[in-house]
Amino acid sequence: MDKALTPPRTKPKKKATWLLLRNIATYLMLSIGVVIAVFPFFWMISTSLMTLGEAQGTRLIPSSIHWENYGNAWKEARFSLFMWNSVRITLITLAGELTFSVLAAYAFARIKFPGRDLIFGLLLSTMMIPAMVTIIPNFLLVTWLGRIGPIKWINNWPALTIPFMGSVFAIFLLRQFFAQIPSELFDSARVDGAGHLRFLWSVVIPLSKAPLMVIIILSFIGAWNALAWPMLVTNSPDWRPIAVGLAGFIDEAGQQIHLMMAGAFIVIIPILVLYFFTQKQFTESIARSGLKG
Amino acid sequence: MSLSDIFSPLKKRLSTWLTPRRLRGWRENLTAYLMIGPAVSLIFLFGIFPVGFALFVSLHKWRLKRGDIIGLVNYTKAIGPLAYLLIFVLGVGLLFLAFRQLQRNYKEFEGRPLRFWIFNIPGVLLASAGLSFVNWTVVLLPNILDIADKIRGVEKTRELFVQLLGEAFSAPLVLTARGIMFGVVLAALIAVSIAFYFWRTLEDIQHQFSLAAAWLLAGAGAIVLQYVYGQMMLAYTLAMQTGEDPGILPQIVSISSGVILLFIGWKLWQKGSEQESMALFSFRIFGAMVFIVGGWIMIGELPIIVAAGDPDLWVGLKATLFYSLGTIPFQLGISIFLAVLLFQNLKGSAFFRMMFFMPYVTPTVASAAVFRQLFSNRQQAPINAGMKLLGMEPLQWLWEPKGILRLMANNAGIENWPAWADGPSLALGVVIIYSIWVFVGYNTVIYLAGLGNISKEVGEAAEVDGASRWQIFRHITFPLLSPTTYFLTLISVIGTFKAFNHIWIMRLEASLGTADTFSVVIFTEFFEKLRYGYASAMAFILFAIILGLTFVNNKIQGSRVFYG
Repeated sequence: MDKALTPPRTKPKKKATWLLLRNIATYLMLSIGVVIAVFPFFWMISTSLMTLGEAQGTRLIPSSIHWENYGNAWKEARFSLFMWNSVRITLITLAGELTFSVLAAYAFARIKFPGRDLIFGLLLSTMMIPAMVTIIPNFLLVTWLGRIGPIKWINNWPALTIPFMGSVFAIFLLRQFFAQIPSELFDSARVDGAGHLRFLWSVVIPLSKAPLMVIIILSFIGAWNALAWPMLVTNSPDWRPIAVGLAGFIDEAGQQIHLMMAGAFIVIIPILVLYFFTQKQFTESIARSGLKG
Repeated sequence: MSLSDIFSPLKKRLSTWLTPRRLRGWRENLTAYLMIGPAVSLIFLFGIFPVGFALFVSLHKWRLKRGDIIGLVNYTKAIGPLAYLLIFVLGVGLLFLAFRQLQRNYKEFEGRPLRFWIFNIPGVLLASAGLSFVNWTVVLLPNILDIADKIRGVEKTRELFVQLLGEAFSAPLVLTARGIMFGVVLAALIAVSIAFYFWRTLEDIQHQFSLAAAWLLAGAGAIVLQYVYGQMMLAYTLAMQTGEDPGILPQIVSISSGVILLFIGWKLWQKGSEQESMALFSFRIFGAMVFIVGGWIMIGELPIIVAAGDPDLWVGLKATLFYSLGTIPFQLGISIFLAVLLFQNLKGSAFFRMMFFMPYVTPTVASAAVFRQLFSNRQQAPINAGMKLLGMEPLQWLWEPKGILRLMANNAGIENWPAWADGPSLALGVVIIYSIWVFVGYNTVIYLAGLGNISKEVGEAAEVDGASRWQIFRHITFPLLSPTTYFLTLISVIGTFKAFNHIWIMRLEASLGTADTFSVVIFTEFFEKLRYGYASAMAFILFAIILGLTFVNNKIQGSRVFYG
């Protein structure tokens, strides 16, 4: 008789206990992982609610909760200014990035023009270039533009936003999506007398909410994390974004660990809120870009 | 004969040529160019032009302000005479790429070799037009850059700027370069329009572009080779004047032949393992061994050359190497384990996944700040307190420049531990722990996606046949996951070379720069020491390393990754 056809004989009771044990072991290992992943967060929040003396000691839980640390950290680190800066930098960048990328991606996906593949390939190849190669010349370029132009670039929004308005990643993502939209839609729109822009605005964009959301989330995360470039092009707090503000605060706060942790948590909160509300898209966007590093 | 008699045939020809269809095509093209215009020009200005500009900067003595052109000195200062070799290889590589491109085009013109050669005329002219444009910009660039200095302290007016711009564009050298450019561009335009008159399908136009690109590569390769040769000769004569023999040439010859021997040996090895007959197999393998040993001996010069470079850079490279060796295997191992556990779809796996992903989502500066306190050198800091509970001595952690292995050896009572066996410093060790903590969640999510793509039937069939869970994992799941592993390894390796934010927060002066990876070394060179030219040269070395790694990875991908 074929061995594969008969189910292996095991005592059902033994199998059940074994399964239970296995599940317990799995949960145990997963829980250890969670403890390691979460402990720094736990310690940060807990320390942020302590007094200075407690924070410098070995306590894990505050004896009494000091909410005022958050107020103090907020004031001392000028977080209201830095957060507002990061938000407006994101908004200005997004306005340009979305407009330019949607237009370019549409042309690359829908119109066949001479040099299309060559230009697109050239754009894609720029993704290979490490940021450290371009950061020095871009700094020189931005300084130059600021000196000769009518508006300041350093310490002002142009240096922080304009270089990021042309995004190869956004164009690539949108082009892949636009290319999947059935061409019958375009043909019927054409019969109705709609041109490219009209078709783009009233058919393509409403269909592409998902990739646009990915770009918005990624831009927000990028602006929230940006450190090296803003550090170069801002030398006063006027337009300094949140990461640079926090980095400065870490150095200033010195031994005031409780305030430092309160500051760190303040910076984390908006991103965590965004993560918990748009979890699926958030995970997908980050996973797709793999750009953090 | 009236005027209309002359014009009407022309008009007629024009109207037959200017069909509505052709007009519509032009309008389409124009629309497309206008649509990609803003994005492409921004990417060009801040993404492509800076690469050329960085090259320009790296050939100068440039400390905050532009100084003299010093050629490849920045590169040789960084990595010694190895720079000549690398640039030489780059030149040869460019020529090779050009040759491949030409060959491919030749094949596409199958059976029409004459047409291929005719198409090469506009190709060459277009390429020279491109190169003469580059030449013109290189000559023009310093003049344009100077405007910013001239305008300083003076009231900024549009008239002044326009006047200065005019002066920059009409400097004598610029004018000559412009004259050459105009000549070549005109010739190219004529050639292209003649070709266009005869062959005007889109495919033909694309051939024009691709041939022009091939010749551009060839021209660039030739220029690079000529430049590096000139620089080498210059260095040689300089060294001869001071009376010492630099020995660059023999070193370079020996190293490059060593590399070539290694390559031949590797190829023989590959071929050998495919051989069926025993005699042929052993012959091939023997040959491969000879070549590889020979190659190694030749490459033995490398450490001598390397010693001539910048110690800071080698420390940075070593830190980067330790950093990737310390993070990537661990984070991949842990995350493949977690992914397999989570994939069983137990209750609450969504919750676990969310928790594991949280460190990756957290803004880097904030989480690095937390780790800086966790791994502080204070006695009461959490990790030190925990070690005390376990009965261990507190450590200096991020403040510790000494190597981990040395610390362990000293702990075990061995006092004279050799310097080369230090391992990563403890400060870098903390950075490694931090990175594993951050990236495990991301890798787990990617592995879960990979597991989802594997069909369950194979595993179930194996289970019916009585395979244990470990056997199924080892022989089915893991090989089928190799594309995911490959992808994650590649982006992690490149990521370690780019790593910046968390290291910037966690590097402390006490650790004496032992935690600085390559990107951080470049940034400090630029941001703190204000050596722009030198930092640019280092950035190009980083670029070369990343390109090399990607290239090697692509080669490995072809042979080792199993796409089930």
